[in-house]
Amino acid sequence: MELRDKLKKLVNAYGVSGNEYDVSAIAAELLRPYVDEVDVDGFGNVTGIRRCGIPGAKKVMLDAHLDQIGFLVTEITDEGFLRFMGMGVDQRMLLGSELTVLTQTGKRLPGVVAAMPPHLQNPGDNKKSVPIDKMVVDIGMTGEQAKKEVRIGDYMAFAGDAMDLLGDVVCGKSMDDRACFVCILHALELLRGKPLAVDVIVTGTAKEEVGGHGAMTRAWHERPDLAIAIDVCHAKTPDAGPGDRVHEFGGGAVVTVGINSNPHFARRMMEVARAKKIPYQVDAAPSHTGTNAWGIQVIAEGITTLVVSLPLKYMHSPVEMLCMRDVEHVGALLAAFVEDLKEGQL
Amino acid sequence: MKELLKELCSLDGVAGYEDEVREAIMEKAAPYAAEMTVDPLGNLIVFKKGAQPRKRPVVLCAHMDEVGFLVRDITPDGMIRLATVGGIDPRVLVGRRMKVGPKKVPGVISIKAIHLTTAEDRKTAPGIDQLYVDIGAQSRAEVEKLTQIGDPVFFDSAFYEMGDRCVKSKAIDDRVGCAVLVTLLQEDLPYDTYFVFSVGEEVGRGSVVAAQRLNAGTVCAVEGTSAADIPDVPKHGQSTAHRAGAVVSIMDKGTVYDRELYRQITAEADRQGVRWQYRKSANGGTDAGSMHKANAGARAFGLAAPTRYIHCACNVVHLPDVDEVVKMARIFIKETGENNV
Repeated sequence: MELRDKLKKLVNAYGVSGNEYDVSAIAAELLRPYVDEVDVDGFGNVTGIRRCGIPGAKKVMLDAHLDQIGFLVTEITDEGFLRFMGMGVDQRMLLGSELTVLTQTGKRLPGVVAAMPPHLQNPGDNKKSVPIDKMVVDIGMTGEQAKKEVRIGDYMAFAGDAMDLLGDVVCGKSMDDRACFVCILHALELLRGKPLAVDVIVTGTAKEEVGGHGAMTRAWHERPDLAIAIDVCHAKTPDAGPGDRVHEFGGGAVVTVGINSNPHFARRMMEVARAKKIPYQVDAAPSHTGTNAWGIQVIAEGITTLVVSLPLKYMHSPVEMLCMRDVEHVGALLAAFVEDLKEGQL
Repeated sequence: MKELLKELCSLDGVAGYEDEVREAIMEKAAPYAAEMTVDPLGNLIVFKKGAQPRKRPVVLCAHMDEVGFLVRDITPDGMIRLATVGGIDPRVLVGRRMKVGPKKVPGVISIKAIHLTTAEDRKTAPGIDQLYVDIGAQSRAEVEKLTQIGDPVFFDSAFYEMGDRCVKSKAIDDRVGCAVLVTLLQEDLPYDTYFVFSVGEEVGRGSVVAAQRLNAGTVCAVEGTSAADIPDVPKHGQSTAHRAGAVVSIMDKGTVYDRELYRQITAEADRQGVRWQYRKSANGGTDAGSMHKANAGARAFGLAAPTRYIHCACNVVHLPDVDEVVKMARIFIKETGENNV
């Protein structure tokens, strides 16, 4: 399967934080050919292990989260509309958007976020954004019908399959952070058949968007010697301000340096990138990187962490946008870095 | 009705670029038309012979155009700036998919990530001047190979069924009116009737010249009109509601509708058990407004299907309401003949 097809398969699946099981199952199948064992735990975390065969070998964990941003239904009104709360979504992209309601019985119902037509608005209304608690989702049902189908606590997510744009640009929901799971799959492909000096633990983790809970529990189980969180970072867009931490779209892997992304290993990763002529960019992060590395770092006696990122435009929107060459470069850098690790170096 | 509506909604026709829609309707109308004319502005006028002639022409009108955009500018970094065609609230644009130019190049409108904003930033909605379409290009030259300034930009929004007999699509306003007219065209009618598929309604252009050409005696606009029957909107502000039948207008910004005519038609609807409701808003306007002022003037009737979220990517209509609009339009055709207007 082409890398782009793997990406689409993953991002088109649903798995809002706390209910990642559908996407975990797909991730586990994509991972299986590359590892010695695969497991999905109760959290919905996927773990695959590729052993190097050296007794007592050090362990490198490559982590990307599988959950996506979304919504929870808080009320079904007598008119048949759904009230909801959001996790990590800018309210300004919701009016008139298409959502999928994921019912507890496994149904997927299409819905539209209601928007007052301009004819019935007051002057100036269109400059004010509407808070999420003032919005409703229309599922085309009467109150009685809606109450039969939907329950409080049901999940909703942005609808719409990924689509190809110009060149190698792909756009869709949930690129954050399933695109980075695809980077890992690409790294494993590049490492196929090559001898390694470390065991590689691949994790596709749950609940990152609500605090990184999946990665923390998985790191506790696996106790890696080095954990690399692979996540998306912001690619430059015309509306970015001078103070925004943004990186070049199509400019290659982004390597973070700071308290949460060990400077020693970060520099070593950049050396590898230069040696292998893999394009990379550097990100200085003085504190929290906003990735799973933050939670993993303080598990048990402490774990060395690194952060590598993929430039993404319009993060947390239904139309997140990336370049496939960036996916390949992140994958290539991960592969080169892991291959370069010698016995006893961690 | 559902299949016809789906077919028409899947076409793109921003004001000034209605060709696709007109061609599709001409193909459907041809076997039933006694005469078909495309006027200099692009209106399609179809004459359908009925069992009896009329003293003065009676016209049903639906508009072919939809709200959308034109390419206003292409920036050096390869983004497409937009000019709005028709009334669009820019708040419904962020996160939407678009089709750009005659090649229908896919693109999206979005804003920078929530992580790069403050709670204060998020209180203000970006205007159309701040938004742009991103097709994945990185330079103006790359974009100019695919589109140019002045090209139409359309919402990319699929037609699908939703919940209980609802359908969702772009452009239900006013392909639903076109679908109602095409349905009637295919029936045997009691009286001669003109069907006008107009251009440029969303910007207030088009239908008037068709009415002038025909010297219309009575006109009826068939629309997809706002239904704001959503929670938190007070009942008196909802204008119309889903599941309450065909909509009959009393007044809007374009005209005060002919009271004698709507009383007569709704009385017949009541006799036949056709479900209908008044439009409880004076905002907005229809082709009836421009057509009734044509030449020496025409009597105007306003008919519509209650449609939620018009003028955005996701219009929603309840199909049984559309069936009531068809029944109501049949009554219009018959009543205007029997009373010799």
